This record gives sequence, structure tokens and C-alpha cells, in this order.
Amino acid sequence: MAVSVPQRRLQVRADAMQTVLAFAALIVLFVVFSLASPNFLQFSNIVGILLATAVNGVLALGVTFVIITGGIDLSIGTVMTFAAVMTGLVITNWQLPVALGVLAGLGAGAFAGLINGLIIAKLKIPPFIATLGMLNVARGLALVLSDLKPVYFTDTPIFNTIAMGSLLGAIIPGFNIPNAVLILFGAAMVASVILNKTILGRYTFALGSNEEAARLSGVNVDRWKIAVYTLTGLFSGLAGVLIASRLNSAQPALGQGYELDAIAAAVIGGTSLSGGEGSILGTIIGAFIISTLTNGLRILSVPQEWQTVVTGAIVIIAVYLDIVRRRK
Amino acid sequence: MDNALVLMEGIEKSFPGVQALSQGYLELRPGEVHALLGENGAGKSTLVKILTGIYQKDAGRIVYKGQEVEIPNPRTAQDLGISIVHQELNLMPHLTIAQNIFIGREPRKGLRFVLDEQEINAKTQQLFDMMHLKLAPRTKVADLTVAKQQMVEIAKALSFNSQVLIMDEPTAALTDTEIQDLFRIIRQLRAKGVGIVHISHRLEELRQIADRATIMRDGRYINTVQIQDVTIPQIISMMVGRTIYEATPEAPETADQNVVLEVRNLSRGRVLKDISFQLRRGEILGVAGLVGAGRTEMARAVFGADPIDSGETYVAGKKVSIKSPSDAVQHGIGYLSEDRKRYGAALGLDVEANIALSAFNKFLKYLGWVDRPKTRSTAQHFVEALAIKTPSVRQKVKNLSGGNQQKVIIGKWLTADTDVLIFDEPTRGIDVGAKSEIYKLLNDLAQQGKAIIMISSELPEILRMSHRVIVMCEGRITGELPITAATQEKIMHYATQREAYI
Amino acid sequence: MKSKRLFAMLSALVAAMVLASCGAAPTTSDQGGAAPAGSQQAANQQAGSAQAGNEPYVAIISKGFQHQFWQAVQSGAEQAAADLNVRVTYEGPENESQVDKQIEMLQAALDRKPQAICFAALDSKAAIPLLEQAKAANIPVVGFDSGVDSDIPVTTAATDNIAAAGAAADKMAEMIGGAGEIALIVHDQTSATGIGRRDGFVKRIEEKHPNIKIVDIQYGGGDHLKSTDLAKAIIQAHPNLKGFFGANEGSAIGVLNAVKETGKEGQITVIGYDSGKQQLDAVRSGAAAGAITQDPIGIGRKCVESAVKAINGEQLPKTIDTGFHYYDKTNMDSEQIKPLLYE
Repeated sequence: MAVSVPQRRLQVRADAMQTVLAFAALIVLFVVFSLASPNFLQFSNIVGILLATAVNGVLALGVTFVIITGGIDLSIGTVMTFAAVMTGLVITNWQLPVALGVLAGLGAGAFAGLINGLIIAKLKIPPFIATLGMLNVARGLALVLSDLKPVYFTDTPIFNTIAMGSLLGAIIPGFNIPNAVLILFGAAMVASVILNKTILGRYTFALGSNEEAARLSGVNVDRWKIAVYTLTGLFSGLAGVLIASRLNSAQPALGQGYELDAIAAAVIGGTSLSGGEGSILGTIIGAFIISTLTNGLRILSVPQEWQTVVTGAIVIIAVYLDIVRRRK
Repeated sequence: MDNALVLMEGIEKSFPGVQALSQGYLELRPGEVHALLGENGAGKSTLVKILTGIYQKDAGRIVYKGQEVEIPNPRTAQDLGISIVHQELNLMPHLTIAQNIFIGREPRKGLRFVLDEQEINAKTQQLFDMMHLKLAPRTKVADLTVAKQQMVEIAKALSFNSQVLIMDEPTAALTDTEIQDLFRIIRQLRAKGVGIVHISHRLEELRQIADRATIMRDGRYINTVQIQDVTIPQIISMMVGRTIYEATPEAPETADQNVVLEVRNLSRGRVLKDISFQLRRGEILGVAGLVGAGRTEMARAVFGADPIDSGETYVAGKKVSIKSPSDAVQHGIGYLSEDRKRYGAALGLDVEANIALSAFNKFLKYLGWVDRPKTRSTAQHFVEALAIKTPSVRQKVKNLSGGNQQKVIIGKWLTADTDVLIFDEPTRGIDVGAKSEIYKLLNDLAQQGKAIIMISSELPEILRMSHRVIVMCEGRITGELPITAATQEKIMHYATQREAYI
Repeated sequence: MKSKRLFAMLSALVAAMVLASCGAAPTTSDQGGAAPAGSQQAANQQAGSAQAGNEPYVAIISKGFQHQFWQAVQSGAEQAAADLNVRVTYEGPENESQVDKQIEMLQAALDRKPQAICFAALDSKAAIPLLEQAKAANIPVVGFDSGVDSDIPVTTAATDNIAAAGAAADKMAEMIGGAGEIALIVHDQTSATGIGRRDGFVKRIEEKHPNIKIVDIQYGGGDHLKSTDLAKAIIQAHPNLKGFFGANEGSAIGVLNAVKETGKEGQITVIGYDSGKQQLDAVRSGAAAGAITQDPIGIGRKCVESAVKAINGEQLPKTIDTGFHYYDKTNMDSEQIKPLLYE
């Protein structure tokens, strides 16, 4: 058909539209805040925004995968806490090497994700319910394992440098960007390669686009679903290590509510809650929009109650734009 | 029989409460197109699902290339070289054509974890070259027409180097030219020795494409015949167990002159351009055109389901504003979607609830309380009047056959006192027996003074049922014909009359 | 069919729970960081295992159970119980917005027919009908930690949050030389302790230290990470900031992190509230100038002692101030302060 080629180009453009819009929104936020306050556009504040994005950004990367499969993971926030506590137990309570503690955190996250995946794929429990259960299980385990007390890393100063040291600063004097930011971007690159170049990424999209079709094509749907949830758990584990390192302590009571910011970041970035669509770049931009907004409104001393109102409104606008674009 | 590619015999299959198949039999030879015929529920789909490993047989045996085989899952069938193109499209719209074709067996590189996208696209291109198909492997499936998606499904089936290709109603959604494309590919495959099982409700196609036919009825094998030895009425009588004079066209009624619906200069984006037509009382207006011509879009715009850019609608001479389906219903316009499952019927609800659905305010007593005895008696009335085959009005609609679902939807609109009924592909996926009942019903409705717009992709249906035909192409009305002047050739002429590119 | 319906019901139930917990999530403990979950079961067991003896029985319903502050209250109550030979049970809801759960606990406690009830109301009005019941059953009620809008409690043993925050304001003024910009991170804007500490601090600055300007007050939900990022933004917006008050443990840790991450150590005077290892370390190292501590053990003690007095028919004052102290590195190891601090 003669018309198929231009049609295709148009469609591709429309697909990237949400990401472009999100990016434009981010630029607008930057311009507005810069004009409104001389204290906004300063190196130290930009670094502050980057750092404030790290934990939510890593969580959002992970949850992007399950959302693209058409699922959801509500447990990422408390799984993060569970992972942080595991790291604390290994390093502080059992006095094992820091590297082992980091592995324990990542492993704890991946393990929780694996259980999520098994429950969803094998017991056929809807992701919303299964991960809601995991939310509570992980929260409870974090409290039990920590004996209700924060675990501190004051005896192992190296642990704090995982997030707060600055490799870049050591190489380029004065360019003191904390490692947490590097870790965020590194994780984003890894996530992007997995999503776009590997078999796991392909099946992530396939599951969200038409699970039955994938099954009838001989894809082992259950296995890949489990893999995707495990991957999401792994990202939560990484977020757990990051937050523990930044706070220099594992706070067993934190984490609830973090999943909503992460999901919001993915959605603002164009990941479709009905599955089949989403991008890592979009999610990262979404996460930056949320932290830029928080930071900018703080600097302008806008009452905080309004900030949550604005974030909520942005999520609704993002989803609405997505629907409008789909209708065309 | 020695040269059979596939032999299925004595196949039994039951589902809870239903014996779906008893003594099922199929013999497929290499290099033949074998039609599998029967009304809905005759067991055709069950038989081929057993052959492709989707269902497991309870008893019987399958011999493939001279050897008895067990086919426990779809994968095994694919590995044996048995592929199926399902009735419902099984594609992933967010992925590209090539990604869809190679889903589940992607070529990899590096650490067996990284996809070789180039390889996928190259292989797909080879496949398309072989099929003489002009499609770009990198196109997203969501951007394809239904017909092209069907081609992708076939290409996918062929990519397994299939010896046996089963097509479950491949032409249901295709227009005539697209069907010809499909048949061209089927003939190529036949020439290469592939055995093709073709399930279709369009008996007119059989002469064009099929060599032999196996007829089934009520889960049983009836007969296998050479197509050139039988007439279509003979096949139909084997299918339904009685004789139906399907091909006799009903004499068109002269519509009286009251215009009940008039649409002027309706436009919507690139989809609908300057649509104007009139609909008279007691008239069946056929709307013909190729898939993608904008017929459904036109119906949806008139019904208020999609927003329009410009245009006016007059009901009984008065200008009205229809911005939503509920406006349309208030002005007495009903729409019966081509996709019954998605839009037409609330499948999970029972017959009674469906019939009352569009006119619930008729059944309200006070404080939103529903008058159950009244809904019950209304539903009962339509079950009898429309001859809906259902054990009771409490039966869930999803358990009814396609034809009966369609009747329930018709009952729903009649309850709502609609004067204008828009039927979008009213007989799609409905078997021959039920089809003629639907036809009779449409004629009755027109005689009672309802005005009917009937969108159909089957030209014989258009010619048989309509009093007047309008033809669409690329969002415009390209021709209008009184039934006395309409022929398949003329309609196709208008349906392909594309706007000249400037 | 049946299982489907069951499933639908379960889903609805779960959805309701989510809604409830979403509503609950942001508001957090007043004395510390975000309140963690679910230990009231342990408390229930404790209640169940309490043997019915001849000694008087006092049921204690606190605002929380798992936070260290409440554990300290519990240990004070148990010490007093041992000294006075009474039996106590101690329980509290998972977090400090679960008003409904706390009411259920109070109801259950009433049903056990204790000789007295100690009650720290999450919502000072919601509990009144049950308190009326207690009064009708002649069970004296002792309020603790925060008051109830009613004259039913025979007395209330609590920290005077307004006075304590006022003392923190005076210290702040003293250390920054009576002039300059300061800011606050508070745990929330709705709880009695959040409001009391914020207003006590602000009012004292306005009344007594006119040259000090409060440039911003933000609410971090007691969440360490959120408080950190909030405090950083405030420091960014106000480069001349001289002092920072964190109104509970999580807020104070957030302020300390922010000061450290922005490299403003020594330029911004930090005053915190309550204890916790990180805060104690910061006070000891000088990163924080000092903090206010309440006397949680004293609160526990006083409420059980008052309950016993009430059982014995003694008259009690309307309120019992359980006291607070300002501590810094010079006095934190003193005999007066040390027992009040927890890690």
C-alpha cells in the first residue's frame, strides 16, 4: 500500500511523543524555576536534584519493566527497605565485608521479586494483589529482622561512599557529583540495553502487548514473567543499597509510599499502564520531573501541601495526553 | 489413503457437559486445499485445535506422514510442521512485523541473551519475497490493516516450514481483493506440496480454492467430497441436515418516501470526508466498500461514538446534535457493532439484562429500583419473537452462539424503540443456518417500518439484502446504486475509486 | 462460580485496605521517624498471657508500639507496675493515623474489665463515647502523652510540647547570636505534637527574638530521605541560613544529612528533638548543637502511678508535666540525662 510508509513514520513519531512532551515539561520547569529564583540554577542545586532522583529513579526503572508487561509491582518500596535491612544485618550485625552486604541487598531484592513472579505466574494471582501482599510481607520482615531498630553503618565508613563518595570528583577536581547519580545513570543504561536489545526485553513488550499470542507462539510466558518480576526486585534491591548508603543507616520504617512516586515517574515518562509501551529514557525524565518539581517548589517556599497536588495533577495530565494521542 | 499427510480418526473430545467431538475424522493429502465445513458448533475448531496441540484428544489417533504421533502442546505441532492461523488474530500490536513472526525463536548473538534484530528483519524480508508480499518487516503491527495482519499471521505460520497449514476463517475480515491475494498465496503453497485446511463460512469461495471438503455436523463427521462433484445447496444440506434455498434473492421492497435520517457533509479528520446520504423509512441501505474504506467509522460518527469535525444530522427532518451514543439512542438510532464481543453485548450478563440494557429507564420503578417482572416479560417476548435459542432468559450471553448473540443485540435495540438500526457486518462469524434467519429478521424489521443501514464486506449479502447501495472508498462515498442497477462489478468499480493524488 | 464471587469479595476487601493504608501512610509517629508496622499482635499476646491474679489490672493503650520512644514508655510503665505490684498490658496500633484500630483496642481493653485504663489518644474526640462507657463502669482513665478533649480522664501525664519547643527556640537564639535566618523541618502539619512543637518554637521566636527570621517551615513526614532532600532545598534557597530545627528524630537526621551534604557544617546550627543513635552521635561530635529530650520512661511511670492512685481513690492534678530537657555534648552523659536517651 502506498500510504503505509508515511503512516508508519507518523506512528513512530507519536510513540516518542510522550517522551518528547515529558522532556519539554522538564525544560519548562527548569526555565520557570530559574527565572523565579536565582538559587535554583546552581551547580550545587542541580547536583541536589540529581541526588534526590537516585533512589526513586532506580525504583522507577525496575517498575517500568513490570508495567510494560501489563502488570504492576506495589512492593518495590518496602522490598527496598527489606534489602536495606539485609545489607545492614550483613555488614553491621554480622561484621561481614561490605561487598557481601551489597550483594545481600541486591539478592534480597531479587529474591522478593522472584517470589512475586512465582505467585503471579504459577498461582495466577493478579499482580496488584500479589505485590500488595509482598508489600506487607517485606515491610514486616524488615521490622522483624531489624528488631524494630535502625541499623547503622557508622563502623564501616566505606559503605557511605557507595552513594555519597564522588569518583568523578576524584578525577575532575570540583566536579563533585555523588556516586549515587552515576549509579542511577549506569542502572538506566543497563535497563535500556535489557529492554531494547535482549530477549528479556522483547518478551517484556510481548507479554504486555498480547500475552495469549505470546503463549500460542510457544513462548514460556510463566518463566519470562518470573524473570521480569525478579529483575524489578533486583532494581529495588539496588535502591535499598543506595538509600542505606545515603542515610548511612537502614531505616526499617521507611519505604511505604515510595512505590507510588516510582510508578508516577514511569507513567509521566510515557509507560502505558495497559502494557506494551514504555521507555527507559521516558522513565528517567519522569523521575527528574518529580524531583525537580519538589526541589523547585521548596526553593520558592511554596506550601508543601500544594506540591503533592501538583504531582498528582501532572500524573493525570500525562495519562490524559497518552489517551488523547492513542485516540488519534 | 496411503499418501495422506495427516489422518485423524476416531477422535473424541468432551468438555464438561458437552461432547464436542465424536468419531472425528479428517484426511489431508499433500498439495491439496481441504475445506472443513460445518455450522458453528459442528466441531471444526475443536478438531483443528487437537491437531495443533491446543487441546488434547480423549480418544482416537493422529497419523502424520505415516506415523502415529502425539501432539501434547503447540510447540510440538510447530516442530512437526503443523501450523495454524487462528480465527482471532494472535499478534502483538506493539511489536514490529518481524518481531511478531519470530517471537519465541529469536535469533540471538553474543551471550545468547542479545537479540539479532538484523537477522530477524532479513529473514522476514526473505519470507515476504517468497510470498510476493510488499510489507516492511520493521512496521509495527498496530499500523497494519486487519488484512495485512492476516498476511503476517500466514507468513508466521509459513516460517515454520510448515507441511500442514490450517486456516481458521482467514477471509472473515478480508475484502474481495484481499481474498484474491490470499488465494494466490494459498495456490503457491499448494503447488509446493503443502496440505492446507481451510475453514470458512463463505461457501462461494470454495469453488475458487478448495479441492476437497470434509463436512461436519454436531461434532460428527458427515462426509468428505470432491468439490467439483457437488453443488453448494448439496453442501449446505449436509451441513445443516436440511435444505435451505440460500441463494434466492428476496425481491427488494420499494421504500416509502419518508426520510427518517439524513446526514450532510459529515467529516472527521482523514477518516471521513464529506459524507452525505439519506435513509428512508422501511429501507435497507447497503454500505459496501473495502476494509478501511471508512464504513465502520461512518457508522460510529453517525452514532456519536466518535467525535466529528463537521457535518449535520437530521432525524425526521429536524436538525439534531448527536455528541454521544446516548444522544443517538434518544433520537432513536441504534448501532450493532461488527465486534459483538467487544462492543455489542455484555457477554457476562444474561439475556434479560442485555435486552433491557439500552432502555433501562423504561424498567425503573422508583428510586432506581428495577422492575424485574417487566424486564423478564420483555426479554421473554423477544426470545420468542426473534427465535433466540436459549434455555432461559437467565442464560449468560457468552454461552450463546454467534447468531443468537446477534439476535439478543437486535432485541436490545428493539426494546429501546429505535427507528434507525445500523448493522455493522451483521452476519460475521455466523453460520449459514443462522445467517438466513438474520436476513429474514432484517427484512421483517424493514417491513415493520424500521430504517436499516447494513454495512457488509460480503457482496452477495449486500446484493441480496439491500434496497439501495452506497459504496465507500477512503472515507468518501464514491457511488450510489439502486439495487436494480447494482452488480458486483459496479460496486467493486466504485470501491476502488481512489482519490487522485495531487 | 463460588470461588469467583469469593475472589471478587476478597478483591474489594483488599482494595478497601489499600485505601485505608494509603490514607494512613503519610502521617507518621510524633516522637520519631515514620512509624513502622504491625507489632500490636505481640502486644495482644502479652495481654492474653497476663494471668488473672488478685493484683489490680491496668490496661495501657498507647499511640504506637514499635517505635523506640513507645518502647521506653512501656519499660517505664512496667517498672512502675513491678514496684507497685499491679499487672499491666501495653498495646498500640501500627502507626499513628490508625485511629479506628486504637478505638477497637480501647473497646477490647474495656471488655477485659480492668481496674484502670491508661490511654494516649490518637484522636482526642473519637474516643469520647468509649471513655463515657469507662466512666459509667467506674473505670478511671489516665491520659498520657497527649490530652483528650473531655474531663473524663482523672489526669494526663504528658510532655509540654509547646514549652519544650520554646526552650529549643531560646537555645537556637542564644547560639546564633539573636539574629539571622532559620528554618524548620517538622514531621507533619496535622498531629498534636507536630503542631505543638512548630507553634511553640515559632511563637517563642516571634515574641522574644524579633531579629530572627523564620524563612521556611517544611514537613518531611518523619521520613529521613525526604527530610534530607527538603532540608537541602531550603539550604539552597537560603544561603544565609544560620539555624535549623528538626522537630522529631527523622526530621533532625534529615537536617543533619542536608548540612553535611551541602558542606555547611559549622555554619548552620542544628537543634533536634528526641534521641536515636545518629542524633546522639551528631550531638556528641558537635554536628548538632543539641536536642530536646522528653522523658518517655517518666511518662510510662507516671501514668501507671496515677492509675494506681486513681484506683485507690486519691485526688490527682489535672495535668502532670513529665518534663523535658535540653541536652548537648556537655551534659548528655550526666546521670540526669543519660537514662532518658535511647539509641
